[in-house]
Amino acid sequence: MTADQLAQRSETPERRIKWSYMDHWRSNGPAGPVDQWHSHRTMSSFLKQIKAVGFDAIDTFDFRLWQMYGDYGGPAKYQEMVQDHGLERIVNIFHAADYDLRNYAPHVPETHENILEDFRVTMGHWSSVELDNIIVMPATLYYDMEPVTEDKLKISAELWNKVGEITAGYGVKLTCHHEFFCGIQSEPDIEVFYSYTDPRYVSLFIDTAQHCIASVDPVALYRRHAHRVSGFHFKDTRNVAAGDDHRHRPDSEIMAPTTGKWFYEMGTPHGLVDFEAMMTAVRDNDYRGWISVEHDKANKDGGDYAESTAIARWYAVNVLEKIYR
Amino acid sequence: MRDTLRWAYALNQWNIRMDVFVRHEDQRRALKTLSALGFGHIELAAGTGRWDNLGRPEVIEINHGSPEGFLAFLRSCSVNGVSSMFWDPGQPVEEEGWAFRSTRNRDDHAAIVESAKPFVDFLAAIGAEQLVARPVGSAWMQPPLGRDDIAAIGEVWNSVGKVAAAAGVGLALHYDCLSAVHTADELRRLLDATDPELVGLALDTAELTIGGIDPVAFYEERHERVTHVHLKDTRYADTGEEYRMPGAETTMLRGGAGRRIERWFFELGTEGGLVDVKAFVAALRRHGYPGWVVVESDHGGNPAELAMLNSWYLQQELSVART
Amino acid sequence: MAWTKWSYMDHWVTETPQGPQPPSFNRAYMDRYIKQLSALGFKGFDTFFFYLPMIEGMYGSVKAFEHFLQDNGFEKITGIFSAYPYATKYTAPHVPETHDRIVADCMATVRAVEGLSVENFIVMPSTTYFQVEPVTDEKIKIMADLWNRVGQMTLEHGMRTTCHFEFWGAIRTREQLDLFFRYTDPRYVYFFCDTAQHTIAGVDPLQMFRDYRDRCTGFHFKDTHTVDEHEAYRTPPDPELMAPNVTRWFYEMGTEGGLVDFPALMREIVTSGYDGWLTVEHDKAELGGGSYAEATCVAKWYIDNVLAEAQAEAEAQLEAGR
Repeated sequence: MTADQLAQRSETPERRIKWSYMDHWRSNGPAGPVDQWHSHRTMSSFLKQIKAVGFDAIDTFDFRLWQMYGDYGGPAKYQEMVQDHGLERIVNIFHAADYDLRNYAPHVPETHENILEDFRVTMGHWSSVELDNIIVMPATLYYDMEPVTEDKLKISAELWNKVGEITAGYGVKLTCHHEFFCGIQSEPDIEVFYSYTDPRYVSLFIDTAQHCIASVDPVALYRRHAHRVSGFHFKDTRNVAAGDDHRHRPDSEIMAPTTGKWFYEMGTPHGLVDFEAMMTAVRDNDYRGWISVEHDKANKDGGDYAESTAIARWYAVNVLEKIYR
Repeated sequence: MRDTLRWAYALNQWNIRMDVFVRHEDQRRALKTLSALGFGHIELAAGTGRWDNLGRPEVIEINHGSPEGFLAFLRSCSVNGVSSMFWDPGQPVEEEGWAFRSTRNRDDHAAIVESAKPFVDFLAAIGAEQLVARPVGSAWMQPPLGRDDIAAIGEVWNSVGKVAAAAGVGLALHYDCLSAVHTADELRRLLDATDPELVGLALDTAELTIGGIDPVAFYEERHERVTHVHLKDTRYADTGEEYRMPGAETTMLRGGAGRRIERWFFELGTEGGLVDVKAFVAALRRHGYPGWVVVESDHGGNPAELAMLNSWYLQQELSVART
Repeated sequence: MAWTKWSYMDHWVTETPQGPQPPSFNRAYMDRYIKQLSALGFKGFDTFFFYLPMIEGMYGSVKAFEHFLQDNGFEKITGIFSAYPYATKYTAPHVPETHDRIVADCMATVRAVEGLSVENFIVMPSTTYFQVEPVTDEKIKIMADLWNRVGQMTLEHGMRTTCHFEFWGAIRTREQLDLFFRYTDPRYVYFFCDTAQHTIAGVDPLQMFRDYRDRCTGFHFKDTHTVDEHEAYRTPPDPELMAPNVTRWFYEMGTEGGLVDFPALMREIVTSGYDGWLTVEHDKAELGGGSYAEATCVAKWYIDNVLAEAQAEAEAQLEAGR
């Protein structure tokens, strides 16, 4: 390390929080909107933008695996490209499973072996990169699980304990992300679920907007479970789900009758998430590690991913990092 | 940006049609975007009417009460101030009765100097450094420049420069690729016709390149006159004298005719970019350039996306620290 | 028989390599735009005065552009919209000293379309409300005097001067509208009914049409979701885009929450015997992710299905009454 670098390091104390950006993205190409996986060029442009605005790393979906193999030569090679753009690495992957009562449903014991096999295979695929978390939605869609009983919660918990043991073998935490439209989303059900899971194998991933939409206070939830929280999606919402918003086929995020656009970037006017309280709680619990920013469907209603992402970073720098960094 | 050079960003690409970028919340989003990318200062552009509400001092005042109120608006988004403002006295505006004025016409000079005053006063009041002006209109709209024309153009800019200097504001003439001052020689003559104490050059890397002038070489030659910089890239030079086509603003710069190039200006680091950005910035550093370097994405595409790509280039390719 | 005289008022925005721009971006974009309107069956084209020089630049002349329209199934350019929305020391309809200049400007616009058969010279009769207030009878009279002059001039060139009232203009309430029409000469000054603008201002456009049927020369068929109940019309410098709580005022026909009763208006139009142009206008349709192309298609669907039915009902009733 040169003298200059040493001097710079002494000016900048070690940060306790680093920021990662979760995969969703759209930009306008000559043939309409495309995501960053469209081509090497669009991926490079995406990574440059994420780096430019001050993110340290990215999260992605594990279903991108085959594109990574096809276009980049696999996760390790893709991660090299990420690093070539000045970002550290891939921090988390989101395992977006296609839940199906016949063969892939956490509350249906007969499907468990299939799910366990899926994770054995998946973890093998990703073993070439160092990940912190594999994030799952721990239940099927709400309408496929209801009525949500303690028994079903317990069966699901038992599954995830076993999955967590598999992922731990690869040094990766299994962590649960509770969408407002999944079977485990209400406060009582979340509490029962965690009472049956083993903290060694199952962590909690706080998505600020999803919990708010489901009428769960994400700050209180975090404070209660801080010891087993392994990450965050910081995003905002302006609406709480009403009536049967959470049980619309095929996908409540898109089909809910009350709300066309659920998600907004941090700092949006009329946002329901109290990010300052959230960051204060993160500080109080001496959390160290990654916070992920997620913008899901940011381009709806005239929105723009690039702009939302820059504004979220503005909010992190000007509001949140003043509380804890 | 933490650097020995001072970096700012132009807001022009956000204001691309007459009825956009009007609401304060839209402007705040742009300001926050630039702040998050490390830009603490912005360049404004003059405009006209109630929808161009960052384009004229009196309209800014209706919006924000006073110059201080406007600065408070910027600071609420962590943007510290304004580096400069672009102004074209040949662009007819509602507030001047859509008068069509030309700097080569001595009869227009008094009115041009008068119309500069509100901008100069406003820039002084907000602590901005440069009035960046288009020295002369498009080539296709006028006969070729004679020697006396350049002398006349120089006179009016010396007068504007005097007014600006009295208020503590610099005046920088901005070369563009459609301008009647087109060749390197014409540009030299224009500089020679103006007082170096009062009038500087705003060097726009892409505009010079399109116009067939090497920005690095020209900067090396006349660096003592360069008081303002617009940094952007282009993939094309105007090798077919398209700037002479009638309606070149559309026929050339929007690809309506000629080679049908629909977009000329690109972000720093673009594939096939003709500007040697690294060499140019190295030259600025070598000469201890003291002014603002304003990054622009005008006539580009999505403004936030382009600002992010430009910031990336500064950080990764030019080793400028974002914060 | 279906109403054929539908025209389209030009506010279109389309994607270009330089971002979303009006089709005047270049000739190729303009051609594509006209083809899109043609595909929907529009027969008339309305535009703004400030586009005329660009049209001349792209097509050689306004006449040549009209030929292009005709090659694409249009009948002609039907209306030219002229306006002074922002008062300056040079142009402000409520300031008599500026009238000569305004008349001269209007004359220049009229000359630009000389030799065509444009029917309507559409004007905003005032600037923004906040620049005129307090709005007095005297100021309304001054504005009326101006448009009487302009109206007489345009009529000599075959065009009717017809007044289009903004919700944020100085002539906006029913009382102000009535006063303005009392002060203007029915031979020279006509009424142009913008359904959304009147609705936002709390004025019933249907009743306006009933009461000024004899002076009505056209319509902007567009919708709104909001009546201005909080004096947004006074917002400086611009209420149309900067009203504190309303980011979008205008919508195409047929949206949920629309306040204008278009079928009732269509029945009234048929019953009244009006046989002029009906114009679709989409102002700032892109706000909130909207698309001009889609809004125009949806509006035309509404015309072909909902309004066609209302027209048929009214015609059947007329027939039965004979």
